[in-house]
Amino acid sequence: MSAGPYNYSYIFKYIIIGDMGVGKSCLLHQFTEKKFMASCPHTIGVEFGTRIIEVDKQKIKLQIWDTAGQERFRAVTRSYYRGAAGALMVYDITRRSTYNHLSSWLTDTRNLTNPSTVIFLIGNKSDLESTREVTYEEAKNFADEHGLLFAEASAMTGQNVEEAFLETARKIYQSIKDGRLDLNSSETGVQHKPAQPGRTTLSNDAQTNKENCFC
Amino acid sequence: MIDRADMSSGSASTSTAGGATTAADGTTSSSFWRNNSRTIPGRPTTVTNRIGSGRPIGAGSSGSSSSFQDYQDSVSDAWDLGDDEFCIISGVVDTRISKRASQTAALNVIKTHKSTNSSGVSNTNVQNATRSDTQQISPVGSDQPGRLEQQPQSEDSSLKVTTALRIENLDIQPQQPQQRPPLKDGTEYVNDQRLRQRFHAYPGRPQLLKLSSNVASKDVECESKYEKFSNILEAPLLNLIALKELSWSGVPRKMRAVTWRLLSGYLPTSLERRQTVLERKRVDYRKLVQQYFDADRRDESQQDTYRQIHIDVPRMNPHVALFQQQLVQEMFERILFIWAIRHPASGYVQGINDLVTPFFIVFLQEAVGADKDLEQCQLSDLSSEQRDIIESDSFWCLSKFLDCIQDNYIFAQLGIQAKVNQLKELIQRIDGTAVMTSASFSTNSRVYLPNSLPTGTLHRHLQLHGVDYLQFSFRWMNNLLTRELPLYCTIRLWDTYLAESDGFAVFQLYVCAAFLLHWRDQLLQEKDFQGLMLLLQNLPTHNWMDSHIGVLVAEAFRLKFTYADAPKHLEAKS
Repeated sequence: MSAGPYNYSYIFKYIIIGDMGVGKSCLLHQFTEKKFMASCPHTIGVEFGTRIIEVDKQKIKLQIWDTAGQERFRAVTRSYYRGAAGALMVYDITRRSTYNHLSSWLTDTRNLTNPSTVIFLIGNKSDLESTREVTYEEAKNFADEHGLLFAEASAMTGQNVEEAFLETARKIYQSIKDGRLDLNSSETGVQHKPAQPGRTTLSNDAQTNKENCFC
Repeated sequence: MIDRADMSSGSASTSTAGGATTAADGTTSSSFWRNNSRTIPGRPTTVTNRIGSGRPIGAGSSGSSSSFQDYQDSVSDAWDLGDDEFCIISGVVDTRISKRASQTAALNVIKTHKSTNSSGVSNTNVQNATRSDTQQISPVGSDQPGRLEQQPQSEDSSLKVTTALRIENLDIQPQQPQQRPPLKDGTEYVNDQRLRQRFHAYPGRPQLLKLSSNVASKDVECESKYEKFSNILEAPLLNLIALKELSWSGVPRKMRAVTWRLLSGYLPTSLERRQTVLERKRVDYRKLVQQYFDADRRDESQQDTYRQIHIDVPRMNPHVALFQQQLVQEMFERILFIWAIRHPASGYVQGINDLVTPFFIVFLQEAVGADKDLEQCQLSDLSSEQRDIIESDSFWCLSKFLDCIQDNYIFAQLGIQAKVNQLKELIQRIDGTAVMTSASFSTNSRVYLPNSLPTGTLHRHLQLHGVDYLQFSFRWMNNLLTRELPLYCTIRLWDTYLAESDGFAVFQLYVCAAFLLHWRDQLLQEKDFQGLMLLLQNLPTHNWMDSHIGVLVAEAFRLKFTYADAPKHLEAKS
């Protein structure tokens, strides 16, 4: 993956956010490794994952930042919102408090990303039906009200995990096709086939790179 | 330099103040200065002579250095660690020349060891190799290794003490090239890394599986220190400086628990007071448990803290059975909760739980015996008194340990943000130009790719590919590398941290720098952001031994020495 011609056309940057213990890292792991990690240690700061997917016969590389849920890390994790094309906002269907905090996560996301950022709400741990505290309908209403994509998923069984990541990518790609997403802006979290190695990240260090003309 | 002097003499006076009687007594204080000929503070010449065997230090060592050494001789600062290193470096006018010389010397050492190592590493052998490896700045005589090996008995015994002083178990350098032939190195490591990404792709998973895998090698290495530790520890009034110097390069397993208690400042230096203090502190801790844990845990305002700890503890070391025991998890919960309550400015921050683990393991090992395998250990087999001791000692040592890095865990984690920026600046200065690179990182290049150093520089490489230091080093700082290293390596690393005279806050920055630079060649081979990021979050340390840590801290010491007190030093080139 490191050398040779690029085997993808776009890079999309994602962030995964939500309260601690809702399963953000496990969702990422399920998506990149197709495996469930029974118990993974809490994330410190951010962790990085990547996978190439295909949308409309276009190869797209996802750069995914999995953020730590603890409030104390917020100062650090906030810097990763900028330039995210997709945000996966996760709560735990078996813990109502994680659902109740969604509005503050949403505020953060709206404030720190750009208007074209696709936000996907994920109700994780859908396999734990017996201890459910948040109904599907309630969350669905919340998502509709705020214009979010929504699905219940399970990092354990893998149910809907793939779909959430792919659907987000499809939406982003649709924005590109519609011309709503400006590929020349580093803020969008999308990057067309890199013309040079220097253009592999999307936002933070744009100024350190040289020309970025994608025409 | 002035800072060092101030800090060192400060800590010297603290340690004597610990036993108020000594200053008046006179004998102790004089023996403090005289008994260890190796560590006469501020007296470089003796050490230098011994190490260099009377040979001139560097190409231009005469002029300015002698006047500075005159000055050094005229003052009696207590260089509580690294005095010998300091002197050698101060005697060298042009560091580049000496580095080149040292590289030659080091390569000779490796060559010598390649031919002699097959029949096991003799003690002198190890010590000597160690010395020349760490002293890269000094042109340690390249003909020395052979000479030493042939006549170890005839050596002045104080030389052995000197060489053993800091980096006793750094046999990695001679062994490394043997185990991994230089030519194969690159590919082997790359494959290694790919495999790791495939099979252990979860970033930052603590690598605890081999909890006690290198017991044997460790004990062999530390055996020679055992007696020295005994002497120091059994003295009526502890010479804390000597203990720090000795511990810096690693503490023998059997001595670790008591040494850590002393180094962290939890135990007093006076031998006769130790037991009393210990008992009192343990009672104090029980009171804290009653006062805070039993009562406040259910308090509305503390509910969040407790719940958070309660969620975190079970999943902190998910793959080690020891940490799945109910009793262990309860102990961790109490320790963390009480610490959080007593430190409201930071409270509980994820990662601090990982910092309890080394203390817990060391005190548990003490309770069950140094030879026992901890992975099979059942806490319920211990008496409740034993468990209480492990818990309270872990708590107090943790508290002392974290004192110097509290700003890491306050709001916005300002301490960490500052250190990440410092790391960036430091790497920029160190690895700013290709010339500096080849001179500075002979350690790495020797171990990995001796003849094919990429021409780029690490800092520029990271910048070019958009890798931000915060993205990988935040966790290094927040968890003090516990997520990057196997547990026994962390414990060895903490021998050094605890032995740092002025707390390890500053030193840790240089350890992170050395750690990053250790992977320099592999990082330079990664050609895109993804590759770099995945490597940086999954650095292949799973096979690391104590000896790797020895090299790491020696390199960190060298970097700190070169850069810490000279903010503008070598800057012009970058």
